[in-house]
Amino acid sequence: MSVAVEGVRGSRPGALARAFRFAGHHVLTAYAALAFAYLLVPIAIVVLFSFNHPKGRFNYIWEGFTLDNWRHWNAYEELTSAMKISLEIGAISSVAATALGTLIALALVRYGFRGRGATNLFIFLPMSTPEIVLGASLLALFLNLRFATGFLTILIAHIMFNVSYVVVTVKARLVGFDRHLEEAAMDLGANEWTTFRKVTLPLIAPGILAAALLAFALSVDDFVITYFNSGSTTTFPLFVWGAAARGAPPQVNVMGTVIFVVALSLMAINILLQRRREGRAPP
Amino acid sequence: MAFLHRHRWLTPYLLLAPGVAWLAVFFAVPMGFLAYQSLQAGTFEFGYSFSWAWINYWDAIDRYHEQLIRSFLYAGLATLIALVVSYPLVYWIASRGGRWKNLFLLAIIAPFFVTYLIRTLAWQTILADNGVVLDTMRTLGLVGDDFRFLATSTAVVAGITYNFFPFMALPLYVSLEQIDHRLIEAAQDLYASRLQAFLRVTLPLSLPGIFAGTLLTFIPAAGDFINAQLLGSPRQTMIGNVIQSKFLQLIDYPAAAALSFVLMGAILVAVGLYARALGTEKLTG
Amino acid sequence: MTETLTRRDLLERAALGGVALSLPGFLAACGGGGKSSSGGKKELADKLRFSNWQLYIDRDPKTKKIPSLEEFRQKTGVKVAYFEDITDNAILFGKIQRPLSQGEGVGRDIIVMTDNTRFPGLLISKGWVEKLDKDAIPNIKNLQPALAHPSFDPNREYSLPWQSYLTGIASNTQLTGGKPVTSVDVLLEDPKYKGKVTLLTEMADTISLVMQANGDDPTKVDDASFEKAIKRIQKAVDSGQIRGFTGNEYTAPLAKGDLACCFSWSGDVVQLVPSNKNLTWNLPDSGGDIATDNMLIPTGGDVFTVSTLMNFVYDPKIAAQISVGCSYISPVKGVKEEAAKIDPKSLENPLIFPDEETLSNVVIFDAEAARNQDYIGKWQALLGA
Repeated sequence: MSVAVEGVRGSRPGALARAFRFAGHHVLTAYAALAFAYLLVPIAIVVLFSFNHPKGRFNYIWEGFTLDNWRHWNAYEELTSAMKISLEIGAISSVAATALGTLIALALVRYGFRGRGATNLFIFLPMSTPEIVLGASLLALFLNLRFATGFLTILIAHIMFNVSYVVVTVKARLVGFDRHLEEAAMDLGANEWTTFRKVTLPLIAPGILAAALLAFALSVDDFVITYFNSGSTTTFPLFVWGAAARGAPPQVNVMGTVIFVVALSLMAINILLQRRREGRAPP
Repeated sequence: MAFLHRHRWLTPYLLLAPGVAWLAVFFAVPMGFLAYQSLQAGTFEFGYSFSWAWINYWDAIDRYHEQLIRSFLYAGLATLIALVVSYPLVYWIASRGGRWKNLFLLAIIAPFFVTYLIRTLAWQTILADNGVVLDTMRTLGLVGDDFRFLATSTAVVAGITYNFFPFMALPLYVSLEQIDHRLIEAAQDLYASRLQAFLRVTLPLSLPGIFAGTLLTFIPAAGDFINAQLLGSPRQTMIGNVIQSKFLQLIDYPAAAALSFVLMGAILVAVGLYARALGTEKLTG
Repeated sequence: MTETLTRRDLLERAALGGVALSLPGFLAACGGGGKSSSGGKKELADKLRFSNWQLYIDRDPKTKKIPSLEEFRQKTGVKVAYFEDITDNAILFGKIQRPLSQGEGVGRDIIVMTDNTRFPGLLISKGWVEKLDKDAIPNIKNLQPALAHPSFDPNREYSLPWQSYLTGIASNTQLTGGKPVTSVDVLLEDPKYKGKVTLLTEMADTISLVMQANGDDPTKVDDASFEKAIKRIQKAVDSGQIRGFTGNEYTAPLAKGDLACCFSWSGDVVQLVPSNKNLTWNLPDSGGDIATDNMLIPTGGDVFTVSTLMNFVYDPKIAAQISVGCSYISPVKGVKEEAAKIDPKSLENPLIFPDEETLSNVVIFDAEAARNQDYIGKWQALLGA
């Protein structure tokens, strides 16, 4: 390697080396900026086209700015009810999956027991199975049990695939958890349940919250597994799928934007709160 | 509570029970049913019957190996591109992000919060034959008049890459963020250049992240069918499209079920080989 | 010597053509297959759930409302929830066969399926559709005689036609040099349109057109002619000429300019013109096809209310409104006179009132071929599955 490029520390690099370093330093930042742009441009398009005033049935070409779509966000009954169903399923499945998953995470991290490794693997399996297989196998189950597909089966499916994600998220938080705090609490006379309630739970709450949010997002967003198990119930993604063929109304973009903004804000709030909490905690 | 005190060993099992039971009933059992279905024979009109029809598996591989190979190719490409694109980005966040690291991460996950389908449809708009991007490229003379993005493998791979990007970026970030900077300083103290420090310290230490990210991206991508359907033409059919069509339109359950297991088997083999090559057995969790 | 077909002849042929299709349907109808649930229930429901194909009703392009359904509501108080969620017969069937096979409803009171597929006959033979309440449909007497006894439902116990349609080629003249494409050969093989062409997922419609371009007769399909058509389409797919196979989904790409020309159904393009002025529709030079879509009541649908709606749309005045509104062919007698009152120009529109020339240029797909499992398998393999 040429001497011009920085080598040994302590010696003063030449001008060329300095230039290289300047460029290198900022190339990475420039790249990062480009990468962020790439990630966010499609979202910008989605948001942008929610303000579009399409001439015909199709919302593909920018015609003009309008607030009509936002004002009449519920103009399409089918869309609004699909959205409602998605939110309901999202909420219920998120709560259920978070509960089930948190318990599993607690067991896996804090207790050594027979079958721990196998359980770990078992929990990981749904995440590593292609969604199409998950959806199809559930369909096979419901078919064989002659169980009607619809709202309930979608709910069951969503809870199922969410549990794994909750476990992984909460575990990450639990693993970094300092058990000395619990020991201290118990030294001070608290029993296990009180300790859990007043020390452990508040401290892992952000992780549980993050897991719940993740589960909610995954549920509202899910298409493939829902597609197989929905019967005649329509969720938001299913509506978008069907509508894409015949020209999705701009209201789809409106709702997509709302979900995006709300989810993003919640996550951002969670992060900011976390930072404040960490700022206040003793070093 | 006293009962639990006396039988402490029970506690983990009690904690596990509800969740694991749910997964057992709604994940493991369905897989069993799928396996059962894959060994059935018959048609929709006249009904199916279980008959150890292993030939379904052979048929699946025989008739659809083209789509299988194509799916792995697309998924592999997408994973590779995601890795190459996200690594510098994530490296930047980990080393220069400072106090705003988490918010930058949020920006990476942000696309995730717009429904999968809507994001893919947005790409349909962006890459449209008469859309802004192609018009500009044509005006600039970068491409010929009859060049197009949509309904090509490029569009499909690009779509897959975009849609699974966070799955690569996040594990990578986690692993990069945990690298102790002092190790890099030590390497430089020992006269390594920045590049050498990166190649011999950072990169190997980020291998678990690369491994996890690759898995989390490749596996779902291999079974995807939405990108192929919305951004591709019949020549880009992936195995996911075939499975979907066999289940929901042709109603050929045995073939579809067999195909599903062939897909999973192929993924397992690919992942196993990959793990061997990388030399790590550590999976997430 | 080409014989000129009258519209009557043509539709009669459709009805009689499918002998193989008829047997299960016929036996089922004879043996009283299919549930009859209208016994005693003569109350109108508040709501009807109607699933249909896109662009198949008189929807006002500006207000987006459907006048005929609005009138129905004013007259009877029944609100019709109208879903344009059918794009392909096979996809619809795949969706509904699960619950239907378990005796469950599908969340719809009316579905619409095409008679050149095996599905209406299949639904009837499996007993998955309800019998119509003919007492509530006195206007059934207005049904065109040629459509009154189709092979899959000889006594019209389970179905009534909604509209008939023609399959042809839609063109975006801005992309096809100012003139519409009227040759299937051009569509399939002209490299100018590589990757800007789609075909229909409906086997009967697409194969009819391609076979005629090959010089074969789709009313009498045999292995050789079918194979020839399949091979030709496969070649076009492999060369990248064909962008995809669609149900109604060609409408968006066509309007957007992603497609130069495609196989399409007659009335769609008329309704797409507000989105893109350069769209036109033509029958192929070598010939198109004609078929009829039928209303069916899946298990659990409200028979009496649906029958009331059917009666309503079989009033010539309403039938004319719908037919002129979506530019398709009405199955109801006496529509011509009513249509003259709504829009005199519609009488000359071959899409709504096909003339001799148009009729001589379309065929009805061989019904037995539509049911042939081997052909269906080959077709599905072509579609990529």
